[in-house]
Amino acid sequence: MRIRVRRTGGFAGIERRAEMDTSGRPDVEEWRSLAERALASGRDTPPAGVPDGFRYEITVDGRTVYAADPLLTEAQRELVSRVLKEGA
Amino acid sequence: MVRNMTTNGGSQPVFCTIVPPHVLDRLARNEDPALSGPARRSLEHDAYQRTKRRLTTVIGAASAAPPAGAAADKPHRTVYDAGHTQDLPGTKVREEGSEPGSDATVNRAYAGLGATFELYLKVYGRHSIDDSGMPLDATVHFGENYDNAFWNGEQMVFGDGDDEIFLDFTIPVDVIGHELTHGVTQHTANLEYYGQSGALNESVSDVFGSLIKQYTLGQTAAEADWLIGAGLLAPRVTGTALRSMKAPGTAYDDDVLGKDPQPAKMEDYVRTGRDNGGVHINSGIPNHAFYLAATALGGYAWEKAGRIWYDVLTGGDLKEDALFADFATLTVKAARERYGTGDELQAVQKAWEQVGVRTL
Repeated sequence: MRIRVRRTGGFAGIERRAEMDTSGRPDVEEWRSLAERALASGRDTPPAGVPDGFRYEITVDGRTVYAADPLLTEAQRELVSRVLKEGA
Repeated sequence: MVRNMTTNGGSQPVFCTIVPPHVLDRLARNEDPALSGPARRSLEHDAYQRTKRRLTTVIGAASAAPPAGAAADKPHRTVYDAGHTQDLPGTKVREEGSEPGSDATVNRAYAGLGATFELYLKVYGRHSIDDSGMPLDATVHFGENYDNAFWNGEQMVFGDGDDEIFLDFTIPVDVIGHELTHGVTQHTANLEYYGQSGALNESVSDVFGSLIKQYTLGQTAAEADWLIGAGLLAPRVTGTALRSMKAPGTAYDDDVLGKDPQPAKMEDYVRTGRDNGGVHINSGIPNHAFYLAATALGGYAWEKAGRIWYDVLTGGDLKEDALFADFATLTVKAARERYGTGDELQAVQKAWEQVGVRTL
């Protein structure tokens, strides 16, 4: 499973992106479950968001959903934070 | 800054509140007691004065409601602590008139809210964000290592930064002013947060954020640094701030952050779908126009250039989907209406001309 996160906007307007391939990882099932939950509550078009709030694009195996602070679900929050931290 | 020292009923020096709260806060933590002592006393003094004023004027008022009537000449601040979660607003940790506590972030947010309230009231006669005494709420310690600050439509939210790239977002007073100004824009022109109107929304926040810093420092247009977010970047980052109104595109150039992407002129306008159509990028153009107008006029930027921009923001003619040219044209009109056909009009016209934005 390939998970890509792109974060844009924010006060600084600086983009961050990271990607990871979960195949072969011992926690692959945990990632799959997290990704599915994050996708399920995502939107097909970018939400309006709030001034200076971060915007997120989450792509899992080619499917992209959008989300924006401060209205991320717990799953989305955890996924973007882990991918941005652990991904390359 | 020393020229603003005064006495506090005795021989101990106190910095007036004209010293920006973030400077005071930093001074208060200085190892040298000669610096930290006065700064601490000044912070305490400020809180004491506010408490006293509050006690003598609003005794009996419900603490949760904004003070009514004449009390709208004072801010009604509440600072919450999210405790590193992303739940808003969090736990109330400081309210109007209470003494500074041990958390410097809370104290900075509280003081920054006060500085912003003060500029809008004293210079433009505006009573808080909505001009009706709206309470000012801020949440600090939002999220873990959270690299951002934002306005959620009702309140300000500040992250602590990750200490690798960003420090605490309450450090620069212009960031606090920037966020609160999003609230002012929301309650006035309500510029759509996308494309050119979004970049204008961002620019207005940078303009008044910078003016709040200049006002608290008592700086003229020539003395100001015109930087947004100075002091916010971690020491390892190669850069001075996040944006420069004086020289857009020069605030940072770092191997992790990349290079400041802001254009200064219309010919370099960045077309992109990201960042809501580059709202934090293309704001460099109207930002630079304001800088050019303000420095051409000289003196305190909040007096004339700031007044013209404020007239446009609140005048009722600025459309939610305004383009740069619409905004520019309204500033020319506002300059003429307020100051006639003198230097002010010329400075504004020339500023937009220099950044390549047409005015009618």
